[in-house]
Amino acid sequence: MKQATDARSSRRRTLHGQQHSVARRRVVVRVLLIVSAVIYLVPLTFVVSSSFRTDTNMYNPTQWIPNPFTLEHYSNLFETLPLLPRYLWNTVFIAGLSTAGTVLSSALAGYGLARFRFPGNRLILAGLLLTLMVPPQVTLVPLYIAFRTVNLVNTPWPIILPVFFGTPFVTFFFRQYFLSLPRDFDEAARVDGASWWQVFWKIVVPLSRPAFITMAVLTLIQQWNGYFWPSVFLKSKEQWVLSQAMVSLSGQYASRQGEIMAGIILMSLPMVLLFIFAQRYIVQGITSGGVKG
Amino acid sequence: MLVFILIPLGVSVYYTFTKWDLIAPAPTWVGLDNWRYLLHDSRIVKVMGNTFRFILFGPTVYLVLGLLLALLLRNGGRATSGFRAVFILPYVLATVGVGTIWRWVLNDRAGPIAQLLDVFGINSPQWLFDPKWAMIAIAAATTWQALGFGMAIYFAGLQDIPKQLYEAAGLDGATPFQRFRYVTLPQLSPIILFLTVTALISALQLYDPVVAMTGDGFGGTAAAGGPQDSTRTIVLYLYNQMFQYNESISGLGYASTIAWFLAIVTIVFTVAQWMLFQRRRSRGERRPRRGLLRRKAGA
Repeated sequence: MKQATDARSSRRRTLHGQQHSVARRRVVVRVLLIVSAVIYLVPLTFVVSSSFRTDTNMYNPTQWIPNPFTLEHYSNLFETLPLLPRYLWNTVFIAGLSTAGTVLSSALAGYGLARFRFPGNRLILAGLLLTLMVPPQVTLVPLYIAFRTVNLVNTPWPIILPVFFGTPFVTFFFRQYFLSLPRDFDEAARVDGASWWQVFWKIVVPLSRPAFITMAVLTLIQQWNGYFWPSVFLKSKEQWVLSQAMVSLSGQYASRQGEIMAGIILMSLPMVLLFIFAQRYIVQGITSGGVKG
Repeated sequence: MLVFILIPLGVSVYYTFTKWDLIAPAPTWVGLDNWRYLLHDSRIVKVMGNTFRFILFGPTVYLVLGLLLALLLRNGGRATSGFRAVFILPYVLATVGVGTIWRWVLNDRAGPIAQLLDVFGINSPQWLFDPKWAMIAIAAATTWQALGFGMAIYFAGLQDIPKQLYEAAGLDGATPFQRFRYVTLPQLSPIILFLTVTALISALQLYDPVVAMTGDGFGGTAAAGGPQDSTRTIVLYLYNQMFQYNESISGLGYASTIAWFLAIVTIVFTVAQWMLFQRRRSRGERRPRRGLLRRKAGA
């Protein structure tokens, strides 16, 4: 009996071209989804809520909707961290420059690997896959010494330069993506007399918009939120990025819950907005590039 | 890229045979001393054990729960993209911020988990201050953050499974479980491999959440790794030996050795998983789908 129902429901599913299932099952699934979404949102709601609570109400469990409502934590933040604008600028500078570099260089390298047969092509690809598996911490020590020798520790460059000329993961991703693009377009343009450079900019880049958006947004988020590399290279307070300021805030002023939460919100807001805007492309980009080839 | 990856890679191999505290003008050659020390370093065993505990409670849960959520999401109807956005939101937050948030979630008096346990009359453990629980707590926080990403990738993979396969299975009278076992799982295998490999690689490099959840904040790492070393990870130990510890072995040479040890572990793990998936695949009757795997094999 049950099997018959299943067979019928799946036939119906194909008839309608989408997933209609037994009504009861659908309700159960919806309820499960809603419950898990609510559980998922508890920590986030708390962050938002407590950033607007007064200090006396901070740990009051009845204050999910803050009353009285206050913005003092946001303004206090600038007193607790007098260098906040500086941290913001450092973060924008590092994240922006390294993302632009990573994406452009990796895309060009990935294009080369996907389209040209040149001696060493396979060797480079094998090396790339190997370095995908080698953790970046391996290169940390030599880079640290190199940057120390040229007096660049405590500047943004040790964070930007190593990724500026491309990273193995992003290069590999672009190679996979470009392989999935039909070569016919390239060749047609070549026949019409376009240079490889023109083909890349006029044909490949516009066709690969999801891939570019995906990698740019993911790299930007990673760089914006990164903590390990800055914690190694940016020791003096003026050079800190936002993530370091956050760690220091939650350690040094652990009692100032409101400021900490306000800080998290301010730091995350740009990335959250960006991600919501780009979400559609990202899921599309990842599945068509990195996973399936 | 060559300059910033291959050259440092080579140089760091050289460093593993040297000792350098950064005060001396140049590294001194010590041969295999660092490697010999590493093999007898009881803390390496400890940090590896911590990392495996993390993998057991973090990435494992992430891989299973992510798939379950994606399967649920398939029936999300018109609200699908809204649900997806909710689950993916924490992925965008800074890891250090997530650590701070979870310090509150895990607070043994005011946090929501403690309050829930209180309803059942259970005294909440002091999660982050209890060596038994601290690593599990970090795994929970990390999973909370990453889960939405895994779910979104699974979900996109599910969308790509041809509907005819389910139709055929339905006509053959397959139960929902059989449909899952013989259609969904094999069709998802490139996705599962991708997520497993990336989750394990980042688990082996665990650092940011540990510092954010157990560190004291001043410069970040002074107290991180506690209580009683129960959350010290390989990368944190590397950082300790590079900048903080003042032992006879400490310094850049030993830090490089730890880094290469981590690299070897990572490569062994990745290759092992890849072979495991390949074997599964060749045993199945289905022809392999074009995927990351085959490209890798072709390279």
